[in-house]
Amino acid sequence: MPVGLLIARRVLLVVPLLAAILLFTFLLVRIGGQDPVGLLAGPTATQAEIEMIRSQLALDQPIWVQFGVYFGRVLQGDLGSSWLSNRPVLTDLLERAPATFELMFWGVLIGAGIGIPLGLRAAFRPDGPFDQTTRFLSLLGFSIPTYWLGLVMLFVFFFLLEWTPPGMGRLSLFLEPPPFVTGSYLIDGLLAAQWEVASSALSQLVLPVLCVAIISAAPIIKQTRAIALEVLSSDYIRYARAQGLPQGEVRRMALRNSATPVVTFVGTEITGLVGTTALIEYVFAWGGMGQYGLSAIIQNDFAAIQGYVLVLALFSVLVFLAVDIFVMLTEPRAGARA
Amino acid sequence: MSGAALPAARRGALPWWLRRVVGVSRRSPTLAIGAAILICFAVLAVIAPWIVPHDPVAANPRNVLASPGGAHLMGTDGNGMDVFSRVLAGAGWAFGIAIPAVLVGIAVGVPLGLYTGYKGGWADEIIMRVFDALRVFPSIILALAVVAAAGPSLFNVVLVIGLLDSPVFARVVRAEVLALRNSTFVESAIAAGNPTWRILFVHILPNAIQGAMAQSAVRAAWAVRISATLAFLGVGIQAPTPEWGAMIRQGAEYLVTGQWWVGIFPGIALILMVLGLNMLGDGLQDLLDPRRKAASK
Amino acid sequence: MALERRDLLAGTAALAAGSVLSAPAVHAQGAARTLIVAAPGAPEGFDGDALRPGTQETVTQVYEGLTRYGRVIRNGRPYLNPDVIEGHLAESWTTSPDGKTWVFRLRQGVRSPFGNELTAEDVEWSWAKSFAQRRTGAFIANVSNVTAVRARSRYEVEFTLSAPSMILLAALTLYVPGIYDSTEVKKHATAEDPWALRWMETNTAGFGAYHLESIRAGEQAVFVANRNYFREQPHFQRVIYRAVPSAASRVTLLRSGQVQWIHRPLLQQVAELRSAPRVKTEDSFGRAIASIRMNTTIAPFTDRRVRQAFNFAMDKQALIQGVFFGLAEQARSIVPPIVAGYDPSFFAYDYDPQRARALLQEANFDFNQQIDILYSQIFNWEEPLSIQVASQLQQIGVRARATRITDSDMRARGAPARQDMPIFSFEDGPIVLDPVYSNFLLTHSRGVSNRARFSNPQVDAAIDEARQSLDPARRIELMRTVQRIWMEEAPWILTAYPSVWEAMAPNIVGWCPHPDDHERWVDLRVG
Repeated sequence: MPVGLLIARRVLLVVPLLAAILLFTFLLVRIGGQDPVGLLAGPTATQAEIEMIRSQLALDQPIWVQFGVYFGRVLQGDLGSSWLSNRPVLTDLLERAPATFELMFWGVLIGAGIGIPLGLRAAFRPDGPFDQTTRFLSLLGFSIPTYWLGLVMLFVFFFLLEWTPPGMGRLSLFLEPPPFVTGSYLIDGLLAAQWEVASSALSQLVLPVLCVAIISAAPIIKQTRAIALEVLSSDYIRYARAQGLPQGEVRRMALRNSATPVVTFVGTEITGLVGTTALIEYVFAWGGMGQYGLSAIIQNDFAAIQGYVLVLALFSVLVFLAVDIFVMLTEPRAGARA
Repeated sequence: MSGAALPAARRGALPWWLRRVVGVSRRSPTLAIGAAILICFAVLAVIAPWIVPHDPVAANPRNVLASPGGAHLMGTDGNGMDVFSRVLAGAGWAFGIAIPAVLVGIAVGVPLGLYTGYKGGWADEIIMRVFDALRVFPSIILALAVVAAAGPSLFNVVLVIGLLDSPVFARVVRAEVLALRNSTFVESAIAAGNPTWRILFVHILPNAIQGAMAQSAVRAAWAVRISATLAFLGVGIQAPTPEWGAMIRQGAEYLVTGQWWVGIFPGIALILMVLGLNMLGDGLQDLLDPRRKAASK
Repeated sequence: MALERRDLLAGTAALAAGSVLSAPAVHAQGAARTLIVAAPGAPEGFDGDALRPGTQETVTQVYEGLTRYGRVIRNGRPYLNPDVIEGHLAESWTTSPDGKTWVFRLRQGVRSPFGNELTAEDVEWSWAKSFAQRRTGAFIANVSNVTAVRARSRYEVEFTLSAPSMILLAALTLYVPGIYDSTEVKKHATAEDPWALRWMETNTAGFGAYHLESIRAGEQAVFVANRNYFREQPHFQRVIYRAVPSAASRVTLLRSGQVQWIHRPLLQQVAELRSAPRVKTEDSFGRAIASIRMNTTIAPFTDRRVRQAFNFAMDKQALIQGVFFGLAEQARSIVPPIVAGYDPSFFAYDYDPQRARALLQEANFDFNQQIDILYSQIFNWEEPLSIQVASQLQQIGVRARATRITDSDMRARGAPARQDMPIFSFEDGPIVLDPVYSNFLLTHSRGVSNRARFSNPQVDAAIDEARQSLDPARRIELMRTVQRIWMEEAPWILTAYPSVWEAMAPNIVGWCPHPDDHERWVDLRVG
């Protein structure tokens, strides 16, 4: 099948998948039988007011009708309103998206930047002392709770050493965000030559990015090493070695062949990182989508939860799609892998 | 391969099981260390009720936030409860959540994997699609959403974690089943007229289970981690239960005001136990996966 | 020490070091003096009748009342004098001989930031709004026996009461019913929204010292001084009300000088803050009671002996140590200690666990039943108090346990329409320092803060009579009766009145404690 058709087929499958996820979440948040009207109406509301608000929000309709109404609105881009912020969920999410993406971007970049070379070097001399140490560090990275790492970092670097500012958001309170270009305060600050802003953004970024990088490095190290080992023991490489190619050459070949699976892996790892990033955002009051989503889930803000989950699912699906396309394009031999 | 053999002079002096232990340790020190850590925790969890210096859930308002030392090895928390006793008791809770959760995962996942791998067809397609769909969620968000909606009981937490584990077991078993399905001994079993369930459970299962067993340690590590995360966010096990995640939740408030012991010690315990489980799982996977064994030569 | 570390860092990460070093100390920012306040959340609305998080803290700065309390200076600090009530937006007033008609003469030349002058029509419109909404404002009107408010002339407003009231003048000091610049507000009213409530979610129009300039939802609200304010211009021309959800972070920001004011710092930090060089802390009496309440209509709390037993089982001094770090006064009455008419003589529940057990046995209490004390995170003492109370109950054999519910659940279930929690924690206190008001709020069956459905006909009768009485001695006597009955019935586990603490930059002076626990920015200045 031509690649274009394959991609089209995948894209088409996305829509029912997202609809199913939306339905699932819609039903899920209503399991507990929470009554959101009380929060909206306030402590001194009368029964009549409560009923009025209930009918305004169509909460007195059967669940199928409610979902139908909601789904129809979603198709038009209306994700409903958050009860806690009283604003459209879509607006809330869009405002916070740059923060999340910036954190994830730097975090994955540094995590991969650490993890891939370590994994590769470990694979080149398996069971050697470097390998053992690296594997241990990787296992340690798997074992540290994300939020605890964030808290300890804050404790050590902020409270004890006073090297970094307190964990509260992306920018010092005194400063206004720079004009929007990319959404990253650091980059936009540099672009606008606002050095103080850029420097504050950087200092706020250091700890959270470090946490994300450390946690994300662990699986990257492990998988890179596994992939590299597999490639190194493949027939192709064995033949090259038997041919007498120098070690450096062999390693370069191994690298080339490992590149695709490693990139694939990092791509899929990103979806798992969403959860990690959300926890880091929570601990550092980062103001990103993850913190928003976690708070929404904890406080039963229905529309916000649904919107957040939808965005997550969409993001994951897009990442998987991108990875698949990447694979299809770089390894035509892989064939039609549906 | 018997691994590096013991010096001949000593070989006869050790009992067979100890020889096995040493042999395994040499082949996979990760496995050995992991197992050792885990056994320590298991022992502590079991004897905790007898060795705790204070009642882990006895509030002592007159001695709140005492720093470590003296009668309280790790200090006291915001309710005056002894942190050391709570950390010890937490081991019991960690096992108490991880073991049932993994069992649930196995109980649900293994039969599913067996069935779909063997039968194939539309049931297989649908179930695998559902699992794939679940994979687009970060598991923590999914667990969080379900437990937040269903309520913070131990039962819910264990059930949710177990159910989220089941796709992994199902996939592992399914892969093995697919490989075994066309093997000769299965074909002869079918020819002999065995009913499906017999083939599945008597013939295929014992061979397919290895992969699942190696997974259990890793899944248990994940179970401990995620139940702690849920508790930390306030959605899972709640105070004053001495669960490590719940303790870190309270500790977070005091960490930035200087009473570091409330949150640090449970965190360290959590890391050690999860590390132990991860090392055990990693070592098991090393041992049982022939490809990895070959690659490490 | 810190400086050396920063020098080290300068070589390796110049940018990061630069930003830490550049955090400004407390200062006046140029000509426009700005006060930066760190709060748990940004205000979610500015309608005093529809309290949402952050509303009360901010509308008190914008909407001022017809009257205000007098002031005294004690030990160099200003305090309110609840016995003296002066005119504020109103200049003077007269009462009819039967006490049922009051006429307030408004001050002339009082203008809002929009330039409109305060007229009697504004007052009439504002009270009509509160009556129509039937919420907090209507409750205040009810407490003061007000049935109608109408404009008599341009500057005269007539209040009609159903019965004489000694509370009215004190009630008029409150932020609700707010006095709105109705000329401006009416521009934003629509057919479906005649009171412009939607507009009020993100705007203000009052005659007070401050005015909302801008708001970024969930992040911060910026207030500017009302340039037409009828009294002296406030020292701080701008106030940035910044959301910082974590209490620990707020303290940190104060210590580093990045904010100048935080409200209710964590009690566990107060002791430390008191000795911190770059922070000033001041305290005031608490008027809100932190307590565990029992719903007298739900078993087993229908039996008075059970409720009394729970009170006997509490080692209150231990709780004050463990939960409030000693910074609270033991509660000996439902009326706060700083309110006139406070009578602790009826308090009879000193720590006596044996008596507690005996009472429970006498009441045939089922020791096997699970008692779930519900708490939320609305107030940060709720969790430790609920856990420690449960622990003390366990010591007398009760299977008690603390269970957390969400904040929204707690508010919803405590609202008059539901009130279905058997035993739960909450904090309430009167914002009018009057014993009749206190009791009407907390112990009357129609009291808005009576979340546990306490209902006693004698108490209701006493309060209703007191509300109409103009005889101070009789009022005090009636309130003593209420306190006595309430203590015998023991619907709450009385614990403590936590002290109110404010933490601020060291050069800020002028804080005058108010009964609603909110500072008034107009009082503050750099001194």
